Amino acid sequence: MTTAIVVDHLNKTFPCCKALDDVSLSIDGGEMVALIGASGSGKSTLLRHLSGFIAADSGTVTVLGRQMQDKGRLAPNIRRLRAEIGFVFQQFNLVNRLSVMTNVLVGLLYRTSLVRSLLMRFSIHEKQQALEALAAVGIQQFAWQRAATLSGGQQQRAALARCIVQQARIVLADEPIASLDPESARNVMELLAQMNRERGCTVVVSLHQVEFAIKYCPRTIALHRGQVVYDGPSSALTPQLLGELYGSDVEELFDMLLDSPALKMPATAHSLQRVAV
Amino acid sequence: MTKPTIRDVPLAPPPGNLSTTLAWGVLFIVLAWSWKGADMRPLDLLKDSGNMGTFARDFFPPDFREWRIYLEEMIITVHIAVWGTALSIICAVPFGLMSAENLVPSWVYQPVRRMMDACRAINEMVFAMLFIVAVGLGPFAGVLALWIHTTGVLAKLFAEAVEAIDPRPVEGIRATGANALEEILYGVIPQVLPLWISYTLYRFESNVRSASVLGIVGAGGIGVILHEVIRGFEYAQTAAVLLIIIVSVTLIDLVSARIRQLVI
Repeated sequence: MTTAIVVDHLNKTFPCCKALDDVSLSIDGGEMVALIGASGSGKSTLLRHLSGFIAADSGTVTVLGRQMQDKGRLAPNIRRLRAEIGFVFQQFNLVNRLSVMTNVLVGLLYRTSLVRSLLMRFSIHEKQQALEALAAVGIQQFAWQRAATLSGGQQQRAALARCIVQQARIVLADEPIASLDPESARNVMELLAQMNRERGCTVVVSLHQVEFAIKYCPRTIALHRGQVVYDGPSSALTPQLLGELYGSDVEELFDMLLDSPALKMPATAHSLQRVAV
Repeated sequence: MTKPTIRDVPLAPPPGNLSTTLAWGVLFIVLAWSWKGADMRPLDLLKDSGNMGTFARDFFPPDFREWRIYLEEMIITVHIAVWGTALSIICAVPFGLMSAENLVPSWVYQPVRRMMDACRAINEMVFAMLFIVAVGLGPFAGVLALWIHTTGVLAKLFAEAVEAIDPRPVEGIRATGANALEEILYGVIPQVLPLWISYTLYRFESNVRSASVLGIVGAGGIGVILHEVIRGFEYAQTAAVLLIIIVSVTLIDLVSARIRQLVI
């Protein structure tokens, strides 16, 4: 199994605070990894470094064997690397006034010639690809509607379709289900798992809710105040462990655990309560 | 700290602070300061009202005998506005994008903005007088004058629309490996297009108004006739020309308002 992502001693300080504190990790191709932590723990910052949206203060990020950034400098061929990485955002980040179809076709921009992409001309073959991707996420009927007319869950599925046409080998999802209702959230997580299983995508998904990490991702990396505090099998994530990792901050994660239908373990919930209080 | 009960919250908002009072004070001082310079003589309006009544009577009934010429020149005026606006859109798009601070670094947008300021600072009439020297009397000088001035105006409005966009969709485009031009075309333009169209239509309306006076300095259109009839004390004909301008401008305003409603 090849290595998909290697992060080596990554540091990032924002004016307010230290966002990433000596983060090192390695993710193999084909893995599905959850990134958990309370808000402000550095999940988004880490993902945004992985796709080269921000440059770190120090440390390196290597993606698919190619250097993405090194000591605060983004690689000159960053666009080529981004093309291999699908990014899914909490707020979907579709262009509202463009059709769903065009939003998905954007995933092909890197491969189309500049002239054709500036004329906004896509071939029948390309449109077919986009339509197939939309069918794969189950929203092909909305292809020619404006993205703004779709519900949140549908918009997020369109964003996944964009990753599919992009033929992304890595999918980074930054809180993809945080703005969705429970039903759509499950749906989007299923699709991510499906992309991982059937298309062999390496998926890194940051989550607010531990129960989704346990249910969908074999491996979890937990961040706390910019540091990796846990990196191991999701099955080992007991409420006690979380309590140890997060101390009083566990409440944010713990509320979700209590309400979680995925974790029907009343005894565990009780023990967690003790840790949290 | 306890939360105040509903009784503790006053029903009137907190009293206005000092800065509001100060702002009003400054406003009145500015008005008073400008009184003398502007030669304000409101009483003269009453004193000379008789003269004005006589003067106004000369306008009626309007003299429409030459209406064909007036209409022809009015259409030429619209033609000037069409081309002046069209050329300025072509220039305002790149210049507008280049003066948006969320798209380009400051060493690009600062000089471009200053250049656009200069285009905007000088009135169309002044540009028209200059272009008449360069390209001779006639509508073309008017087109060029509108072009320069409107480019300055539209570039600023376009840039402001771009600066107000939601950056997240643009980031979505960037995430796919798209280059800067593609980011603008797929992420920025779709967001600002309705506003851009609205601004452009509005400028077209005001360009028709501007073009109707450009003729006064010799840049073609209905203004030439307006100038002639006023200078010749032909007030009945002046009234006819003014009516034609009013009707045309109103028509264009109505139509473009309808189009604006459709795009937004």
